[in-house]
Amino acid sequence: MKIKLRDGWYDLLRSAFADFTRNKTRTFLTALGITIGVLSVVLLIALGLGLKNYINQQFESLGANLVMVMPGNAFSQSEGGGMSNMRSMGTSFMGITFDEQDYLALNRIGNIDYLTPLFYKSGVIEGNNQRKTGSIEGANEDIFNLMNVEIMVGDAFSKADVSSRAKKVVLGYSMAESLFYDPKEAYGKSIDIDNQRFKVVGVAKKKGDPDMDDAVIVPYKTTFGTLNPNKTFYSIYAGISSKDKVAEVKEQMKTVLLKKYKKDEFSVVEQTEILNTINQIFTVINAVLVAIGSISLLVGGIGIMNIMYATVTERTKEVGIRRAIGATERDIMMQFLAEAVTLSVLGGVLGLILATLIVLVIRIFFPASINLLSVIITFAISSAIGVGFGVFPARRAAKLPPIEAIRYE
Amino acid sequence: MLKLQNVYRTYHLGDEQVHAVEDISLDIKPKEYISILGTSGSGKSTLMYLIGLLEQPTSGKILVEGKDVSKLSDDELSVIRNHFVGFIFQQFNLINKFTVLENIMMPAKYAKEKLDFDPEERALELLKRFNMLNRKDFFPNKISGGQQQRVAIARALLMRPKLILADEPTGNLDSKTGEEILNLLEELNKKDGVTIILVTHDHSVASRTKKTIYIKDGKLVGKYI
Repeated sequence: MKIKLRDGWYDLLRSAFADFTRNKTRTFLTALGITIGVLSVVLLIALGLGLKNYINQQFESLGANLVMVMPGNAFSQSEGGGMSNMRSMGTSFMGITFDEQDYLALNRIGNIDYLTPLFYKSGVIEGNNQRKTGSIEGANEDIFNLMNVEIMVGDAFSKADVSSRAKKVVLGYSMAESLFYDPKEAYGKSIDIDNQRFKVVGVAKKKGDPDMDDAVIVPYKTTFGTLNPNKTFYSIYAGISSKDKVAEVKEQMKTVLLKKYKKDEFSVVEQTEILNTINQIFTVINAVLVAIGSISLLVGGIGIMNIMYATVTERTKEVGIRRAIGATERDIMMQFLAEAVTLSVLGGVLGLILATLIVLVIRIFFPASINLLSVIITFAISSAIGVGFGVFPARRAAKLPPIEAIRYE
Repeated sequence: MLKLQNVYRTYHLGDEQVHAVEDISLDIKPKEYISILGTSGSGKSTLMYLIGLLEQPTSGKILVEGKDVSKLSDDELSVIRNHFVGFIFQQFNLINKFTVLENIMMPAKYAKEKLDFDPEERALELLKRFNMLNRKDFFPNKISGGQQQRVAIARALLMRPKLILADEPTGNLDSKTGEEILNLLEELNKKDGVTIILVTHDHSVASRTKKTIYIKDGKLVGKYI
């Protein structure tokens, strides 16, 4: 019986291909509908994944085991995490700010290797008769270790520079490049921020993270004054070198902060928690993208249905002949379904190949990727479309009265 | 072998009822060679399709080897059509996208039970017998009408049916080729013992069979033996 089954499938496919080759243009155009649908779905997934990879890379460029103290409870896991907290994120930015006392209190906890308060402000930086808008970041000397910022020329500012409120800065690579053309040239020069003169003591290596590359890093105590008159910080970053101490240290940090703030006024999160939240957001974005792309698949499916109806009418006589020699309704139904599925899957595979080629090109600029899921989705969706949109025409063929079918001219 | 008992087939054309076949009873015995003779629109083709189980009677019974087929499902009827009956048509009704050999083998694809012969072997045997082995890989629209009809006969014979139904088998052929086809049918009846029912409007064709049933306005009006 096994041989018969193979013969059956062979006959189905042989019949399908015989018809496809007879109507090459029509077959191609019909399959093209599915090709475009699959192409758009796979590309959208690839770009969505790419965006996610890109952001993950940005986070991974931060130091390991980074714990961030932030206002609000946007990322707190105990609150359920993820999307449910998106609403509170809006308010958190307008919530509390931290001060130097908080930083000093946290600094007393053991097992923290690096700790810096973080002040952030956007501003105009002038130097070498150029002006450039960038981010001014106030931090202590630990920032360089915490954020994996390597110095290309010169040196980072020191602990003493922070204490003495030295007017020294480290320039991000792109910032130095914008002002001095050759980033190395910036070393030893002066720049002005808010009419205050700073000396460039170091220039950072290119990091690939626009936030850091366009930044001017200033000792945080130096910002106290015109840049940061309230002496506040938006967050405090801690680096813990031993991974198994992270949970314990986090708890200690919370205990310290709870003395001053309410439970939902701040959060102590690891970067992995933020990543999880971002990944959840991207899962939703991806789903929306796929839903949009699916509209074109739907249109492609309707194209297949249309052509299959035409095919059934055209081949009424063939149906009659097959019925006369012993084909059951089911046999006829299977034959046309097999054709619809073959057409749809062919279109899907073509779409997948095109998408792969496009993604290979995009990868030069952007970490887009095609994963196994896209491939499975392609086959599942295009077979489902073949069945879904092929079933009605196939049923019409199966239900043709044999005697009328055989007399059909 | 095959019995029709008071078979009616009625069509509805708008409000009007048309009796294509009216109160026909027949008893066809094994190895018979019968023609059904009638003019165009006499109901002879409808009668043939009823016998071939492509059409169900409005009332009356059709018995195949004693079994009432009017209550069978589509699947069961298809099985009988597949191995009990072989059809030959005026238009040959071959499928042009398949080769001659593939066309002949097609009934085997729809066999629901394991065959006790190799369909390809049998198809080649039939082609050889009909002197058409050199045409086995041709497509039907590339061979002559007489050759096409022989392919159709080979297809009808593949499953070793007991009954062959031929609907105006010579209608699309010139008289010489038609004669060859009739000789072939005669030989099948005589040598192979296949029961043949031949539907025609042509008296000279009908005269070649052993028995003729005359049909007019859906009714059986006479039998000539």
